[in-house]
Amino acid sequence: MGKNVLLVDDSSTMRKIIGRSLRQAGIEFDNIYEAADGLEALDVLEANDVDIVLSDINMPNMDGISFLREKASRDGIKDIPVLMISTETGDDIIGEAKSLGALGAIKKPFTPDKVNEVLGPLL
Amino acid sequence: MELGDKIIDSATEIFSSMVMMEVSVIGDFLSELPPLEDCISGVIGLAGKSRGVLAIHIPKAVAMAITGSFLGMDVDEMNEDVDDAVGELANMLGGDIKSVLSVKGKDIDLSLPTTISGRLYDFQSTKATERIIVPFSCPAGNFTIEVQIEQ
Repeated sequence: MGKNVLLVDDSSTMRKIIGRSLRQAGIEFDNIYEAADGLEALDVLEANDVDIVLSDINMPNMDGISFLREKASRDGIKDIPVLMISTETGDDIIGEAKSLGALGAIKKPFTPDKVNEVLGPLL
Repeated sequence: MELGDKIIDSATEIFSSMVMMEVSVIGDFLSELPPLEDCISGVIGLAGKSRGVLAIHIPKAVAMAITGSFLGMDVDEMNEDVDDAVGELANMLGGDIKSVLSVKGKDIDLSLPTTISGRLYDFQSTKATERIIVPFSCPAGNFTIEVQIEQ
């Protein structure tokens, strides 16, 4: 059975770019789900089988940090791994994300090679 | 690193790695910006230890070409893809500028990116700011990136 990914970013452009980068990096998913903020992401995770989440931090309605906190409180989805993809790469913010379960972070802008380097070992 | 140099490094990396265009600086930094004609501006605010704004001002025709290259498709009208792409450029530039002003990242907050567009408009601060404006050229045309930090 193949793997499914959820891309969480308020920018539709960025969701397209991340999807393209995954393909260019040779990382294939059966399904690529999309969400525009943390609230939508929680709904997608509750309704679908998702193997890994790639999430922005700075988003409206529910940001990436609040998403991680809420996800960690829900038994059915709390163990789904999350990788942050964000312009926010300060030690304090990434440290907080990791303390809430994020596996790491990819800084925007990124290249397909960078996506492969960080995401590849997690799959 | 000085803000002007960071703007250049950041824009060069963003355009090279994600927009698939090479950019170069045209001449010296500017301290004033003429009225913007048929442009779109992507704007992101900084709040906290340093307060200010970063903006990228792009003529609409250039913005459509940049968006097309960014997304890998033809874009021949101003639409939500152009708004989103220009906003995301401002977002990435703002993140890099924040890294210069705040090493650890929690003492400065970034706003969500917004865009402004129109046939003729001014982009001015109502407060005293340090203003750095960098003019750029790319294969699609010219654009400017500016940072204003409250003094």
